[in-house]
Amino acid sequence: MQERGAPLLYVWNQGGQTMGDPGAFNSYYPTFLRYVGTALVLALIIYLTYKGLRKLGVKTEAATGFALITPWLVGRILLTAFPILLSFYLGFTEYNILWDRPRSLEDPLFNYKRALSIKIVTFDKDERVSIARLGQLGAAGPDVVRYRELDSFVIGDKRYVIAASDIYLLKAIWLTLRYAALSIPLGMAGALGVALLLNQRVKGVGYWRTLYYLPAVLPAAAVALLWFWLFAPNRGLINWALGPIYSLTGSEPLGWFTDKDLVLPSFVIMSLWGVFGANTVILLAGLKNIPPDLYEAASIDGAGTLVKFRRITIPMLSPTLFYTLIMGVIGALQLFTEQAFIPTDRADGWFVNWFLYNEAFNFGRMGYASAVGWLYAVLIIAVTLIVFRSSTAWVFYEGAREREPGGAKA
Amino acid sequence: MLRIARVIVLLAVIVALLPAPSSSAQDKVTIRITTWAGVEEAAELQLIIDEVNASQDTFQIIHEPKPADYYTVLQTALAGGVGPDLMWLDQDHMPWAWEGVLLDISEFLANDERAVADPDDYFPGVWQTVALSDGVYGLPWIAQPVVLFYNKGIFDEMGVAYPTPDWTWDEFRAAAVALTNEAHYGFTLNGWPPPYIWIWGNGGDIVSADLTQAPVDDPAVVEAVQFYADMIYNVECCPSQETIAEEGFGEMFKAGRVAMFMGGAADDLDRVEGLDVAVSAVPKGNVTGENTTFAWIAATAINANTAYPEEAYEALVLLTEGIHHWKIVSPRISQANVEHLVASEPRKEANAADIIAAVPYMRGFTLFPGFSEFMGVLWGDYFNPAFSGEDAAEALAPDARILLEDVLASQ
Repeated sequence: MQERGAPLLYVWNQGGQTMGDPGAFNSYYPTFLRYVGTALVLALIIYLTYKGLRKLGVKTEAATGFALITPWLVGRILLTAFPILLSFYLGFTEYNILWDRPRSLEDPLFNYKRALSIKIVTFDKDERVSIARLGQLGAAGPDVVRYRELDSFVIGDKRYVIAASDIYLLKAIWLTLRYAALSIPLGMAGALGVALLLNQRVKGVGYWRTLYYLPAVLPAAAVALLWFWLFAPNRGLINWALGPIYSLTGSEPLGWFTDKDLVLPSFVIMSLWGVFGANTVILLAGLKNIPPDLYEAASIDGAGTLVKFRRITIPMLSPTLFYTLIMGVIGALQLFTEQAFIPTDRADGWFVNWFLYNEAFNFGRMGYASAVGWLYAVLIIAVTLIVFRSSTAWVFYEGAREREPGGAKA
Repeated sequence: MLRIARVIVLLAVIVALLPAPSSSAQDKVTIRITTWAGVEEAAELQLIIDEVNASQDTFQIIHEPKPADYYTVLQTALAGGVGPDLMWLDQDHMPWAWEGVLLDISEFLANDERAVADPDDYFPGVWQTVALSDGVYGLPWIAQPVVLFYNKGIFDEMGVAYPTPDWTWDEFRAAAVALTNEAHYGFTLNGWPPPYIWIWGNGGDIVSADLTQAPVDDPAVVEAVQFYADMIYNVECCPSQETIAEEGFGEMFKAGRVAMFMGGAADDLDRVEGLDVAVSAVPKGNVTGENTTFAWIAATAINANTAYPEEAYEALVLLTEGIHHWKIVSPRISQANVEHLVASEPRKEANAADIIAAVPYMRGFTLFPGFSEFMGVLWGDYFNPAFSGEDAAEALAPDARILLEDVLASQ
């Protein structure tokens, strides 16, 4: 029998035995209510949207469509748009997520100045670069921020020190940009090569295609750990394979993720894993879309394999390549998961997103992290726009043939 | 359409009518505690929680262990207003008190006669990690002194005399070199054990008593940091960074690849099958002349926003008393004896006396607002570059001091 005052869900207890642990249900109950409540509110919004649109004279079909996308829209607004806008605001404040509310900054641009201030300080050639001489950031803020040495160069008997108020951020951006510049072309060339191979008419091609896609379905965390082991200095497969070279040259095994000069190559090599995966499949689909009669006509005209590749495959595939390039740029600039599993040194081995995460959650500077997030978003958009701009020079759209120079005419 | 509206309203009414969950815990308040306990530890803690829950009828403690990404999860929960009532915090995170998320329990303590609520029964070097500013922000439940575990087999093989609490650091280093051959290393460091053992033992500190200065360029501190830097990753005595990364830090000791290891007193290093391991206090500080050592301290704190401060405090006290009979070493002076330690952890019987001998000389950090940033600078601009051989401690110290004092001045 159900006890007095017990929740209705206990109705299904059997022979007086309550199923599960009542304590567990008690603690879950508020969450359960929130779930049910959310569903009800969403249902109500759907209903009201539909009714409202119908009242405004919108046709049944359109009103149904709009009504049915409202749950997604609400999610977008609450869980994506709102945090984005909030982070923009937080960028002008000092905020530790443990606080009830952000604190205002004396200089609202403090976080941005902290991220971007750079200056050059002159020293004598043999003088030790002391931090006291580099000075403090002038902006008024909650922390004393000092300029630190980013790099230096010697001209004559003077040493010119490039000093920045946040060297770790600038180093992270520089590392991430170099990573993108190296990993994207290598990855795309590799993916194209694999796609070309998979486009051959060979026996069991379906089997090969599945096999080569397999790496893409493995969790990124598992892949990161796998590479960590492959790169292990003394017992890893990579150094084992390089063993003969080490003994020939008498050098020490490379410390892949621990040597600051090898962090970037290690991550780039790791990124080649992505060659087999979504990009290959997309490029393969692009290859399949090239009309065979183009190759046929070219063969009749006496074109060789290389000419056909350069004059037909590449131009016809360029929209697909463009797509993979854009996605590659954005993906490479947002590297995070791999780094979360492979510890590297802050000074030389942090990518921007890892820097951001640490500022926000480990160093308690959510305001600063928000500002950096926005700066970085602007940078990513700028890079993407440059790539877009470049597309007119090398991306070939079939439909564009019809157009007059200077734009389409009616 | 009207039908749909009716269904929605009906559903809403049903949910509204669902009685609040209360069956067995009708009048009991739920107190949630979050810890980093893994499966085994959580099961052991649950026994204590069950006892506490059975002992009174005003609240019921529910354990929500979060073994992965503990502080990120906890921080996010607190920020989202769904934080637990009680939480475990290690001493590095006790400065959260200054962010306003921890409840000041000093008034509760003042009106509480129980021994577990008596500040005078805690070692002062431990109590200082919860007594912050003018308040008290939790009760310590463990204070593990760092002690020296040593593999007697390797000592016998190499003909080196066993460590004693009378060892100086120079004698220790000489032994570490003498114990190193192709099969094993004498000692191991990778940032652990904490360099503060050497700094404090040398009579130095990373922060002045009035919290305005960071005298890390003091010769006592510089010498200690350099001593550490000279040993770490130096294959004359200790494994390289690469070897540690591959073979595992503590695992190397368990595998008989390292002769001496500094670990927390509760570590399981002295019950590895096939290894004959004994414990000694760390060597004597050059200046203090005592076996000054670092204490790994953790406390249970109350969420400042708990809806039930009184029940949460009661739960904290009962739970802490229970944990003091489970975890070693108890941070209380009245419990710092061999009998209590063995009763809590019978597997430590053989080395209990040596562990207890280390207890009076342990201490935790001096905490202050901005502590985590201070530590970030201390490691990033001083310890790490010194330990990786980038520069000498003496050369790094002046700039590190400027940066550290900036942090102190910012608070």
